[in-house]
Amino acid sequence: MAIDAANPVPPAYPRSAGPDQIPPHVPKELVFSSGLTTGAEFLANPHDFMARMHEKYPPIFYDVSEHINAWQFLKHEDALFALRHWEYFSNEGATPFPRDPNDYFYFIPIEIDPPEHRKYRNIVDPLFSPRGVLKLEDLIRQRSRDLLDEFADKGECEFTTAFGRPLPVSVFLDIMGLPQDMRDTFVDWAVNLLHAKDRETMGRAMANIVAYIKQAIAEKQAHPDEGVISRIAHAAPDGKPLSEKEIFGFVIFLFIGGLDTVFATLNNIWLWLARNPERVREILARPGDIDNIVEELLRRWSVTFSGRVVAQDFEMRGVKLKKGDRITCVLPACNFDPEVFPDPLEVNFDRPRKTILAFTVGVHSCMGAHLARLELKIALQEWLQRVPGFSLKPDAKIEYRPGGVVGPELVPLVW
Amino acid sequence: MPAVTYVEADGACHVVEVPVDENVMHGAVYNDVSGIIGECGGACSCATCRCYVDEAWSAQVGGPATDAERDLLIGADGELKPNARLSCQITMRAELDGLVVHMPEHQF
Repeated sequence: MAIDAANPVPPAYPRSAGPDQIPPHVPKELVFSSGLTTGAEFLANPHDFMARMHEKYPPIFYDVSEHINAWQFLKHEDALFALRHWEYFSNEGATPFPRDPNDYFYFIPIEIDPPEHRKYRNIVDPLFSPRGVLKLEDLIRQRSRDLLDEFADKGECEFTTAFGRPLPVSVFLDIMGLPQDMRDTFVDWAVNLLHAKDRETMGRAMANIVAYIKQAIAEKQAHPDEGVISRIAHAAPDGKPLSEKEIFGFVIFLFIGGLDTVFATLNNIWLWLARNPERVREILARPGDIDNIVEELLRRWSVTFSGRVVAQDFEMRGVKLKKGDRITCVLPACNFDPEVFPDPLEVNFDRPRKTILAFTVGVHSCMGAHLARLELKIALQEWLQRVPGFSLKPDAKIEYRPGGVVGPELVPLVW
Repeated sequence: MPAVTYVEADGACHVVEVPVDENVMHGAVYNDVSGIIGECGGACSCATCRCYVDEAWSAQVGGPATDAERDLLIGADGELKPNARLSCQITMRAELDGLVVHMPEHQF
């Protein structure tokens, strides 16, 4: 049944977790505890771990963990199918982010299935289209240069704090129509919300973000501008203005959806560049191939996962999926499917173009994908021009923390 | 504003005005023409906006703009049909007013 976006209620399907909550229709031989996103083996080298999953597990298996039990899809083909068929694999109730049940809201548009979904995408898609984001090119370039000015002469930096985090945050502020002097505050909120070790810090960050966003929406309602918050606040699809809950759910989703993913992507790629100076020289020698380079780097260093709830009983590869089961498309593993991308861990800028799953596919395909591509492209161009030869600090210890967005915690660089 | 005629696999026609510099995929998606999906939004990445340019227009529109577009068309159809294009890679120009594109039965 379609949900009413203006009157949000917490999802009906229970989340099962742990070995005591395996539904009876799941065959024993398909049950594993892979340690995906949390185990020591995963955290030692997450992307290699996800590439090896093709050898260690069946293409569809039931993963049991203390956080959530769910079917894992590893094959490129299966993820394309699941992500493209919302009538079997629904987004309603599939986003694991905790919310106050007494003041519930939906993340819009990701938690809304068609046909309602398109009405929200049409509000923002023109801004985030390839042509829409091109208008931001000069601005992103300037933000990148401003950041590089702060440390390019110093011979070292900690990449994630000096560049990886502030760049997407300042671009986000520009797009939303928020002031740049909020940059460091937003950085703190994002770090505490998504990476804090204790729930109290997380809760405080969330409360600050909620209060700020509500105030920003009120201000844009009174004083419209060209930014995305104002556009959402004044949108009236089919002549009907969005409700306060819809506006809030939309704006906060953009905040949560857009910041950490670009951050983690940059961190993964800069770690790889620091370890592979010959590939830096190759990128510098092929300026005309930058779009192919960006696409291949996004395939090799995808950072996240995509979950759905089974909407009606369905069978795939002989596996019976029951209504209410949860599935996760392990997007990095799908991008390492050797049947689609031979020699999958190799970074090869000359691969024939195929659909990558960094941004998922289907109606919920990432609306920020073009912005992310553009940010990565400009970041590469501007950084490599200013700091072409750099390496990992000799005593650097690379660590990953558990979580749904995969990237190194700190990347200390020297040049 | 120049117009594009989108012909569905069952023959149904949609005539849509598409602004100059906008792409032919967006012309369909923003106007509820269902035969074109364009799920990646125009990144030349998903091949769900395939179309076949009507013979009368194929010379003027031309073939794939890049190797990436060519690779995706081959991947989707198994071969490169001479008039196949990704509609996100066709940019509207004034002289394309009246363009006719045919859509496949399925995008995936």
